Amino acid sequence: MAIRVNPRLIEDLNRFGAADVQMCYHCGDCSAVCVHTDDMFRFPRKSMRQLQMGLEKRLDTALEPWLCYYCGQCSDQCPREAHPGETMMSLRRWLINRYDITGIAGKFFRSVQTEVWTVIIMGLLTALAALGYHLFSGSIYVVDGPDAFLPSHIVHMFDIALGSVLGIILLLNALHMWSLTMKEGGEASIPWWLYIKSILQLPLHFFTQKRYAECITTKKSGLYMPWIIHLGLMWGYVTMLVLVMVFLPYLQKGPEIFWPAHIFGYLASIGLLTGVFYFIRSRLIRKYAQYHKSHSTDWVFVILLALITITGILQHIFHRTGLPVAANITYLLHLMVVVPWLLRMPFSKWAHLVYRPLAMYFAAVRKNAYAWQEKKQRSFSPDLQPI
Amino acid sequence: MRIGVFFCQVDQEKLINLDQIIKYADNLPGVVYTRIFGVKPKLNPEELSILLKEYAFERIVIAGDSPGYFKPVFAKAMALAGGNPHEVQLASFREHGARGEEAVERAKGILACASYAVPYSLAAIPKGAPVHPSTLIIGGGVAGIQAALELADAGKPVYLVERTGTIGGHMAMFDKTFPTLDCAACILTPKMVAVGQHDMIRLLTNAAVEGVSGIPGSYKVKVRTRARCVDLTSCISCGLCSEVCPVKVISEFDAGISQRKAIYIPFPQAVPNVYMVDADHCTYIQSDGKKCGVCLKKCPKECINLNESDLVEEIEVGNIILATGYDILDASIIPQYGYGIYPNVITAIEFERLTNASGTTGGKIVTKTMQVNKRTGEKEWIFDSTGPSPKNVAIIHCVGSRDKKYNGYCSRVCCMYSLKFSHLVKEKIPEVNCYEFYIDMRAFGKGYEEFAERIREEGTFVVRGRSATVSMDNGNMVVKGEDIVQDKVVEFPVDLVVLAVGLVPAKGTVELCTLLGLTRDPDGWFSELDYNGNPTDTERGGIYVAGMCQGPKDIPDTVAQGSAVAAGVLRSITSGRGIGHHSNLMLSEIEARAKSIHTF
Ligand SMILES: Cc1cc2nc3c(=O)[nH]c(=O)nc-3n(C[C@H](O)[C@H](O)[C@H](O)COP(=O)(O)OP(=O)(O)OC[C@H]3O[C@@H](n4cnc5c(N)ncnc54)[C@H](O)[C@@H]3O)c2cc1C
Ligand code: HEM
Ligand code: SF4
Ligand code: SF4
Repeated sequence: MAIRVNPRLIEDLNRFGAADVQMCYHCGDCSAVCVHTDDMFRFPRKSMRQLQMGLEKRLDTALEPWLCYYCGQCSDQCPREAHPGETMMSLRRWLINRYDITGIAGKFFRSVQTEVWTVIIMGLLTALAALGYHLFSGSIYVVDGPDAFLPSHIVHMFDIALGSVLGIILLLNALHMWSLTMKEGGEASIPWWLYIKSILQLPLHFFTQKRYAECITTKKSGLYMPWIIHLGLMWGYVTMLVLVMVFLPYLQKGPEIFWPAHIFGYLASIGLLTGVFYFIRSRLIRKYAQYHKSHSTDWVFVILLALITITGILQHIFHRTGLPVAANITYLLHLMVVVPWLLRMPFSKWAHLVYRPLAMYFAAVRKNAYAWQEKKQRSFSPDLQPI
Repeated sequence: MRIGVFFCQVDQEKLINLDQIIKYADNLPGVVYTRIFGVKPKLNPEELSILLKEYAFERIVIAGDSPGYFKPVFAKAMALAGGNPHEVQLASFREHGARGEEAVERAKGILACASYAVPYSLAAIPKGAPVHPSTLIIGGGVAGIQAALELADAGKPVYLVERTGTIGGHMAMFDKTFPTLDCAACILTPKMVAVGQHDMIRLLTNAAVEGVSGIPGSYKVKVRTRARCVDLTSCISCGLCSEVCPVKVISEFDAGISQRKAIYIPFPQAVPNVYMVDADHCTYIQSDGKKCGVCLKKCPKECINLNESDLVEEIEVGNIILATGYDILDASIIPQYGYGIYPNVITAIEFERLTNASGTTGGKIVTKTMQVNKRTGEKEWIFDSTGPSPKNVAIIHCVGSRDKKYNGYCSRVCCMYSLKFSHLVKEKIPEVNCYEFYIDMRAFGKGYEEFAERIREEGTFVVRGRSATVSMDNGNMVVKGEDIVQDKVVEFPVDLVVLAVGLVPAKGTVELCTLLGLTRDPDGWFSELDYNGNPTDTERGGIYVAGMCQGPKDIPDTVAQGSAVAAGVLRSITSGRGIGHHSNLMLSEIEARAKSIHTF
């Protein structure tokens, strides 16, 4: 069936950062140098073409953008400065918006103002809520225990409630992604057991991001940058998330240091700090292709993460060194960033933590399905040669 | 006389500050009305005629860049209004060179002339300024040769200054030319010989222009002829000197794939057909006569003088033609193809010499063989006619062209010469696999598309997608790229890679520009006066451009321009009025002259 083109697609993608797609003249250099391109998923050139042609239906069922790890090798090689790597990045932003069933993501990606104001308002509302609570109970001079300015059991409950709502949205979005990429996008019907067969891809890619390490530029950098940095950041983040979501009461005990919980917190902080430092610095010095162009959402993402990390660490220090007022104020600031950060989660770049492992998993399933179907066909008609 | 002035532009380029010009126009005698119509206005003759009638114009001036575009509308409107349609005059700013610093002054002059209905060139060029009948041509490639012959055959004296020891330029290096696959030498050599023998042509090879002064129609040019050290008239090019010369130097004419001696002739059909000494490498000259000098004793005509010094002379000419051609981009600055690292990655020009019957392998296409240099003991890779023939040849298009990192522009001839290479390879090695990696096939000329089809039919694999890299895998070269038609990333094992490297202006172009007060276009080639209307004139009247130095082009276009510039020069000489575009008269003088011509 013919595909209907959307001639306005490219204009829209512009707002997601793909500014130079029209420069591409399809020399294929980029696909040839990309280590992640293979027989079934070829990019970035093909995605450039689909974008130029406005093949919206092809693009929103595509897994390719998630198979790109943005090492920037393709952009470095591109003779037209069409920035194929940035196109893949923009497609990811666009897909996050596509998968999102609420439509909020698109608003954030398309307008800085909307995003920044939402963050600010959410932060202020958080502060208002905390101060409102303070009218009835809690003392600014107390950091831990039930009389605390922000008592951990309430914060904890709030965290879990918020987390659950967002987790559900993210899950629904992930389901939407599955239906787009696997139902509408996959040419072959896929038997359920193939999904089981590849299930290990999910944790594998979530915990290792191993394809990041395979990029040429990553290997060339000697220290496996930025993969190793990202790995530290990601592990730090996950550790922190578990600490906050499950062990918050232990974390906020004090003022003495509670090593069994805090040691994880310290390690996680190191990962987070180096991570945000590295990414912010890279985006400032713009030496490598993948940091040449920063979309507003990239900045919001790293800056919020940096603020969360720094306020969290400061709160901890003030708390342990007997400065309860300072500790409580930084804690409030911390929450003022955490809430908008969490609220943005399914609608922002960070959703890649779900979509990327999923995409890797789906890609493996699709490949297996393809091979399986070929085998089946051959057993039906033995003369048929595979193409 | 009631005159109306209308400003119309054909394109967006706002080169001129119209405010000043309009003020000036308002004060011109007879001008009763001025109006700006802007860029490509939609003019309706009926409506216009109402305006014309209202003001009862007796003459109309349309001013701007290429205002001729609007003349039909105004002429019709004038007729409808009952006026004289022949009184629609043009003030063509760009066409008469109103750009750059003096644009506004120039435009005023052009406008004044138009208001008097006097051709600008008639009023603005000093009458009777004598034009020297001689012409200087810089660059002896096929463009320079063609122009020289046209002028000389018309009986005008020509100085042809060529930097190297022979004329012929790049075309002399080729075996065959696309798309006809004619023998290049069969076309060029007779022309070269004709230049060498022509009474009206003075050939200055191994020479360079060092200074230019004067005005259009009368230039004084300083030319330095470097010591050739061999007498031009008595050398019989027997080559005995070269046989005994102990010094070996990389051959420029062979694009570096073979060696020559320090006393040498670039190639056997060189014009002048005389040996020459490379002073930078001659042991005798470098040691101030203390060492070597063996050639002196060998020469049967005693025509070698290793103590000769450069000759600097001043010549007088009326016009100057630039035909300095091009150079090849240095392929070693493009890392991904391994030029300079892998011995069997070569440039197009090297391939031309390899496949040339008079080249180092006698036209046999081979891959390089390793040899140990006896003197230095180092390994070298050289083309040897006994070497193995390649089985798989890759030709990569657009190397350094259409590439923002190197040359953004298309070099225009690479697609076609690459196809020519495929033909030559397949002709000489029938069982070879030949791959052309291209992005867009630019087969734009007469017979070119057919030529491209023919090459495909001959069995060359034409792969859509410029290959991305050349790498080494277990001693085999591998070309990797995306075949965008097959939609596959592919790897081809090959043993010879030819890079269709882009073209750049010849070395020395910048210096010539400063010397002659010319400008270059953003890509570095000499700027022509007007791309469409005056492609071989420059804004300095009396200086012309021909051939590749104005922008990439093939031989037919180059030759056509060679003839075209001769027409320009002859026009200037026969009209006896200096040359078209550049006026050194003051605005007031132009006004006065226009007025007097008008009343007369
Ligand atoms: C590999 C290759 C293959 C090609 N094959 C074909 C083909 O098959 N058919 C075809 O139609 N076209 C072909 N072309 C294009 C063709 O070479 C050009 O169109 C043609 O040679 C241009 O001639 P020219 O006289 O303008 O320049 P050139 O041939 O470059 O001649 C310029 C001359 O000026 C001299 N010169 C330069 N600077 C100075 C200076 N400052 N002072 C004095 N002298 C100077 C140079 O030494 C040279 O002799 C090919 C080009 C390449 C690169
Ligand atoms: C808790 C989980 C994660 C966090 C906090 C996280 C955080 C980040 C951050 C901060 C960046 C850098 C943004 C920038 O360049 O400014 C980033 C980029 C990246 N992440 Fe993650 N990440 C997580 C999970 C994952 C997972 C599971 C994968 C892969 C399977 C992954 C793959 C990538 C890749 C490839 C990039 C670089 C390209 C891009 O920005 O899209 N991340 N991540
Ligand atoms: S390298 Fe650049 S021009 Fe070539 S196909 Fe990729 S994006 Fe397009
Ligand atoms: S950025 Fe790296 S991973 Fe992404 S398409 Fe380009 S080369 Fe491939």
